[in-house]
Amino acid sequence: MRRLWPSSLSGQIALLMAIALLVAQAINFALALRERERLVLTQVSAPTIARLIDAVERDRAGQPVERRFHHLPAWRGIRLNQQSVIGPNMRPRKDIADRARAAFAELEIPVLRIEAAEGDIHRGDRLQRMTQARRAVIGDDRGPRPTLVVTAQVAPGRWISATAKLPYRDNRFIFWLIAQTLILYAVMLVPVLWIGRRIARPLQQLTGAVESFRSAEGGTAVPESGPGDVRRLIAAYNGMRTRIAGMLDEKDRMLGAIGHDLRTPLASLRLRVEGIDDEGERDRAAGTIEEMNRTLDDILSLARLGRPSEAETRVDLGALLDSVVDDFQALGADVSLAEAPRTTVTIRPTLITRAVRNLIDNAVKYGGRAVVAVGSEDGGVVTTIDDDGPGIPEDRIEAMFQPFTRLEESRSRETGGTGLGLALARAIALQHGGRLTLANREGGGLRARLWLPV
Amino acid sequence: MTDRPHLLLVDDERSIREPLASYLQKSGFRVTAVADAAAARQRLQGYAIDLVVLDIMMPGEDGLSLCRHIRETGEIPVILLTAKSEETDRIVGLEMGADDYVLKPFSPRELVARIKVILRRAGGGGSRQSAPESSSYGFAGWVLKAGERILVDSEGVTVPLSTGEYNLLLALVTRPNHVLSRDQLLDITQGREANAFDRAIDNQVSRLRRKIEVDPKNPMLIKTVWGGGYTLSTEVARL
Repeated sequence: MRRLWPSSLSGQIALLMAIALLVAQAINFALALRERERLVLTQVSAPTIARLIDAVERDRAGQPVERRFHHLPAWRGIRLNQQSVIGPNMRPRKDIADRARAAFAELEIPVLRIEAAEGDIHRGDRLQRMTQARRAVIGDDRGPRPTLVVTAQVAPGRWISATAKLPYRDNRFIFWLIAQTLILYAVMLVPVLWIGRRIARPLQQLTGAVESFRSAEGGTAVPESGPGDVRRLIAAYNGMRTRIAGMLDEKDRMLGAIGHDLRTPLASLRLRVEGIDDEGERDRAAGTIEEMNRTLDDILSLARLGRPSEAETRVDLGALLDSVVDDFQALGADVSLAEAPRTTVTIRPTLITRAVRNLIDNAVKYGGRAVVAVGSEDGGVVTTIDDDGPGIPEDRIEAMFQPFTRLEESRSRETGGTGLGLALARAIALQHGGRLTLANREGGGLRARLWLPV
Repeated sequence: MTDRPHLLLVDDERSIREPLASYLQKSGFRVTAVADAAAARQRLQGYAIDLVVLDIMMPGEDGLSLCRHIRETGEIPVILLTAKSEETDRIVGLEMGADDYVLKPFSPRELVARIKVILRRAGGGGSRQSAPESSSYGFAGWVLKAGERILVDSEGVTVPLSTGEYNLLLALVTRPNHVLSRDQLLDITQGREANAFDRAIDNQVSRLRRKIEVDPKNPMLIKTVWGGGYTLSTEVARL
């Protein structure tokens, strides 16, 4: 059932229309049928009752009841029997019996009993056989026509019956219903699909715009089209988009100002540090300034990630990893890269470089060394960075991705870092439609997996 | 006139200008320090300046505009000081004709090393390979975009280079078919204060070969000259 239910707006409207139409048609047909049956019965039963009355009166006057046409009996549908002709397989019609009784009472003709029923009277006579044979020849498979019988007991052992043929009960009613419904449905489907599309298309565009909303500058406003409700929704979305873009602009300006205003004093400090005579002291001071600058960089990058200034380009990921690893090796860090096959990905190279650098930096800092490898998986490429450190308790892994979170609670700067590195790396991965996960390796150490779509 | 190169330092920020000027003087340069572009233009006319160290963000005429002016009127090399790390700013700076840029906060030693590299290049080479940073070089299907510091293959795929690889490749590409000894390469790529070993150059060369050679074991581009050093044996076109 769930599978048959369409998910699209047009599909649902069309299906609902079809069901509603079918139900309405069925009710309509049922009512029409009932009306027709009632009409037919009235039309058929009134003359039948009249003939019965006529026959009973003739019987009372001593005239013959059955009129014979040659040797065929009951041509006029009047028969005289010793018992009721209504068999057990016939359907009693109490309503008609009541009408007949009322008619007899009105004319003050006394009868003992009156019964009425419809169904097949199997007479087995020649006429019936002939009729059946004729039907077989012309391919009429509707069977014998049902008969209405109204019978009156005028004296014990003397029954007079009037019979009349009823119209066929139409068994093909259901086919008519379906055929008519289909025709109606075909006529209605065109406007239904049209209105469905008219609503659905602008909604689809809106959905696409909302889904792809990563940065306010990318993409244009959604054109306002469709019915009024949809138009208002789109207009509201466009307005929101403009407001978000304004807020992001504001944020960018603020960040730019902060970046500049903090870097200038840092630069000044860095110059003055050169005046310190003690070489060890000077290097430590320079290191601290460098770290402040890196933190500032991380904060600015994280904040600016929504509107990257760099364009996406196709990049050889293996070469990118190799260049990062080389830069680490140049600084004397224990970082190695397994032979990387040429893998082309579409990325913002500066950002991915930064993410990889942060991951390797963590591995070296907390795990002593980093082993980098690249491979394909899940229709993308996965870069793994393994270290030999103590790993992270399972329940703390997810928390590590929160900005300013580090494993040791003391936030001592002994091991360096602000806890922004992982948050930034994950944000960069997500921004590229990828993902970043951490897991403890079997046998110790931590593995970071950076998956990127190809 | 002394032998000491004459630097023009332009920075509106006094807290940087003064300590930097004194550091550069201590490092053996003659330094004229000014606070804005107007004063800088004046000094450029009055003195024989060998190199300009220029802050990008200044009130009034900014560094980029002054840089363009310097490039239009002469051959004096320019190093930009910038507080922004956004990629686009770097590239814009280099398109304006700057020879190099330094991100604030910078190590003054590194700045001095870069000044020396550029002065040597400008003085020694004669011909102004001057703005190598702003050029692109095509060789054997590769394009080295010096401004953006990236290498692009014939299909348009970017092949990132480490700092060491980039410096080495730039040195080779700007001197095609010249044999460069390990000492020369060290000197060109890392400045005089480098304390690297010869092995470092060999290491970088083998890395570069892995990236650009069809068969790294049988190199056709970066060839080893026995007892001499390395040479880039292919035609290089400046783009």
